[in-house]
Amino acid sequence: MKRRAFFKFAAASAAISAAQSFFPSISFNQEGEENSGNTTDTESTANPLVGDGVEWKKTPCRFCGVGCGLLVAVEGGRAVAVQGDPASPVNKGLCCVKGYHSILALYGADRLRQAYVRKEGTLVPVPIAEALDIVAQKMKETIAEHGKDSVAIYGSGQWTIPDGYVASKLMKGAIGTNNLEANARLCMASAVTGFMTSFGLDEPMGCYEDIEHADVFVLWGNNMAEMHPVLFSRLLDQKMKRGARIIDLATRTTRTSMAADKSILFAPQTDLAIANAICYEITRNGWVNQEFVANHVSFKRGKTNIGYGLEDKFKFEDAATESDFEDLKDFLEDYKPEKVEKLSGVTAADIRYMAALYGDPGKKVMSLWCMGMNQHTRGTWINNLVYNIHLLVGKIASPGNSPFSLTGQPSACGTVREVGTLTHKLPHGVVTNEEDRKMAAEIWGVPVENIPSKPSLHTVEMFRALDRGDLRFTWIQVTNPMVTMPKLNRYREGILKEDRFIVVSDVYPTPTTDIADVILPSAMWIEREGMFGNSERRTQHFEQMLTPPGEAMSDTWQLIEVARRLGYKKLFPWSYETHIEEIWKEYGRFHAGAKHGMAPYEVLKERPGVMWPFVEGKETKWRYNADYDPAAKPEVDGSPFDFYGKPDHRAWFWLRPYEPAPEIPDEEYPFWLNTGRVIEHWHTGSMTRRVPILHQGMPHAYVEIHPEDAASLGINNGERVKLSSPRGEIVIPASINERGIPAKGQVFVPFFDEAYLVNKLTLDAFCPISKQPDYKKCAVRVERIVA
Amino acid sequence: MNRKPERRYIVIALSILLMASSIVVVGESLVEALSESGEKGEIIRPPVPSGLVGEISGFEYSDVAQSYLKSSAEGGRTLTSFRARRAYEGGPPMIPHKVDDDRSLGGENCLTCHGKGGFVPKFNAYTPVTPHPNLKNCRQCHNPGRTGGTFRGSTFEPIAWPSLGGSVLPTSPPPIPHKIKMRENCLACHAGPGAVEEIRTTHPERINCRQCHALSTDDEIWKRPGGDRLP
Repeated sequence: MKRRAFFKFAAASAAISAAQSFFPSISFNQEGEENSGNTTDTESTANPLVGDGVEWKKTPCRFCGVGCGLLVAVEGGRAVAVQGDPASPVNKGLCCVKGYHSILALYGADRLRQAYVRKEGTLVPVPIAEALDIVAQKMKETIAEHGKDSVAIYGSGQWTIPDGYVASKLMKGAIGTNNLEANARLCMASAVTGFMTSFGLDEPMGCYEDIEHADVFVLWGNNMAEMHPVLFSRLLDQKMKRGARIIDLATRTTRTSMAADKSILFAPQTDLAIANAICYEITRNGWVNQEFVANHVSFKRGKTNIGYGLEDKFKFEDAATESDFEDLKDFLEDYKPEKVEKLSGVTAADIRYMAALYGDPGKKVMSLWCMGMNQHTRGTWINNLVYNIHLLVGKIASPGNSPFSLTGQPSACGTVREVGTLTHKLPHGVVTNEEDRKMAAEIWGVPVENIPSKPSLHTVEMFRALDRGDLRFTWIQVTNPMVTMPKLNRYREGILKEDRFIVVSDVYPTPTTDIADVILPSAMWIEREGMFGNSERRTQHFEQMLTPPGEAMSDTWQLIEVARRLGYKKLFPWSYETHIEEIWKEYGRFHAGAKHGMAPYEVLKERPGVMWPFVEGKETKWRYNADYDPAAKPEVDGSPFDFYGKPDHRAWFWLRPYEPAPEIPDEEYPFWLNTGRVIEHWHTGSMTRRVPILHQGMPHAYVEIHPEDAASLGINNGERVKLSSPRGEIVIPASINERGIPAKGQVFVPFFDEAYLVNKLTLDAFCPISKQPDYKKCAVRVERIVA
Repeated sequence: MNRKPERRYIVIALSILLMASSIVVVGESLVEALSESGEKGEIIRPPVPSGLVGEISGFEYSDVAQSYLKSSAEGGRTLTSFRARRAYEGGPPMIPHKVDDDRSLGGENCLTCHGKGGFVPKFNAYTPVTPHPNLKNCRQCHNPGRTGGTFRGSTFEPIAWPSLGGSVLPTSPPPIPHKIKMRENCLACHAGPGAVEEIRTTHPERINCRQCHALSTDDEIWKRPGGDRLP
């Protein structure tokens, strides 16, 4: 190629001057070349065209759960450019500003290149082999002294599938403790329990292709324009081409509200009542799909007044009791639109409007949500309630009719949910189920007694246990809990106590590496081979394209190295060259079959992602529908549906009431505090802030205040204000009438900025069913700082 | 193209005659069918396939190509400023001016100026034209810079910027040295006073750019399946 290019270029150069005299009207741009400021002269002589020496390789994006396909240009061992993968059905060639600049996140000047160990209070660099020895040694000692439940691993929805699989096998199979959690507990747990309680199986029945079929999109507390921008562009595309309508049902005015056909604001926590009011209207107007409900839906009631998990060692277990359609009608009497209007601030007319959209048999409706519904002390309930609406009108599991739970991390689904890196989970099923334990023991080659049958610590409780001293050793990978934990002050003080040993694997220094006893430098994303699984059940493989910096090592291999040092070489026998492929093959055995079959390794390497269930060479786009899903075996004539996740082959409609939030604004703390994200930054900003264009676009966090509240407090845009809650305080610049406008009486802070730790203020209340904390609601005071 | 205009008029006149006579022959039903199908003289394009990106706007702006795109005004944009706003060739440029409404996706606000180009007194500059006006969520990819510098420094080095020129033969037009996904519309970036000086075409009126300028970013040499079998 280089030869060809050279001849081409030489021939062209020699002849251009002659040519110019023949064709004076056509510019040959010789002068442009001289002015172009291209400094790589020898390179450009040999490579007159871009493309030479550059290889474009496919990978899913490193950031959000949408899972866009990227093509990364690799040249001379470095990633040098990005384009959207036109072959990817997710993004069809388009990216967002984070995706286009994702590769720059590899090249922050302060990348961690070596391991550090704290010696006499100071972190000092050591060879990584020595650091791994220390990690293994400390783990052994802690187990010997305090028992195996005194050690834990805390991972992430940014773990690749092999990372999570190895962690699960090490903790649950080899060591024999269920102390394995991941930060997805903080973002997806209510989505999981929502799916499990309503359908018996996790993850959406539909897929992104629903967008091209739906007539109406209802966004439940979901600022898609900033958080899932590429999918939102697919919504906008349908709005422009087919006149699809977008309804933004939210507590704050955002870019999504501005782009929507209708923006509806509701008071925090009242989504529960609104969903029930929509069901009331559907029932009252006779829009119920009677046949669907009679054949495919069971009605259940659960416990009420279920608490908020604010106290240590809080326990809750739900129990279903039978209900029916008549019982539902009685239940819904409490949710007449006029009554809900008073509670929620949404007019009865708007409630009826939404009910009419869901109820119109001629319209296909997609509901979309993410953190707004999941980070909610009644997160499981609100997930159930939105499924209820779809079930009542039979708009589910068919193209365009789709309640769709979005994810925030690239492999929250692929790793945390599918591999099951949560205390109660196994790669297939749950630890409490004997059959599931037997399956895991057989595949892992360990005695079944190794796997404890009781779940231990969920994430909030894990950090409480560190504070109490029940937990002595925690290995944190790919996440930044010293920014993300709610009620941060308690957990920060707890983790810093004597006799708590913290190992942190990461790619940059963060507030979490700051408190570490050992820092392990990790290989990031395309510096190693791996797989992510996105929100639409799509598993995507990426190869190792780059050499990690310094001694950086993949999280998978770090775990394997420590497992071997602990004496588990037999369970982790894989060679470095082929370990990802071998892990994938072993893991695949857990999901074999029509309900969750995964694509073979070779197929994953070839395609821009493959959706599971992958059955006999075919992806399943719509589950529970025999027209698309080979696992569905419908028993009702003329109906394709079979909700096979539940023993009665029905979807469960849960009668869930409105219950208030645990902390509501009062005289002392008169504002609601909501936290969230901005388009430029992802998670805690530890990667995106190293990308110059993203940092320049959004250099720091701020508190959004409604203009009228700001005026009455005497606060001007950009001025520093003090926010305080019963748990802490921060001083932060005000943002008035900029990116977003909270409703009156509310404030909003994005949580990417380690300089303004908003989680010092948040409350560690969680959904008693999912154990996921609510970062969207607590009470704060807002004060002008007098200079 | 401009040669022998008289012949074109003859063809057009003959066509009109033919149409008129066919209407008489076929009758009113055809007129109705034509009007129902929207055949009223406006441009009718084939249906656009579903998708976000594609070669769908390759001839946009050709309607204005004859007028201001040919203007001799200098917009002041250079390759240096062009590159300073992008992380790498093909990366979305940042927004180099203040944006009033941070809550907007951009859309028509941006397209007012960046849709067709021209002089914007507010910025005292000729506007660069977007090659993908079909995508309305501008702020998905383009951000204004609020600050300079970096958070912790960066060692990123981009792909080599495409070289200009590169004609294979003295008489052959230079190939297109960059990928064209989302930039299928050549005139948007290569024509008019808003275009970067060094890459501005001298002949925007020719419109069908890819008639002469071939895409040349493919680094694969095509080989016959089975390899070299000739002795």
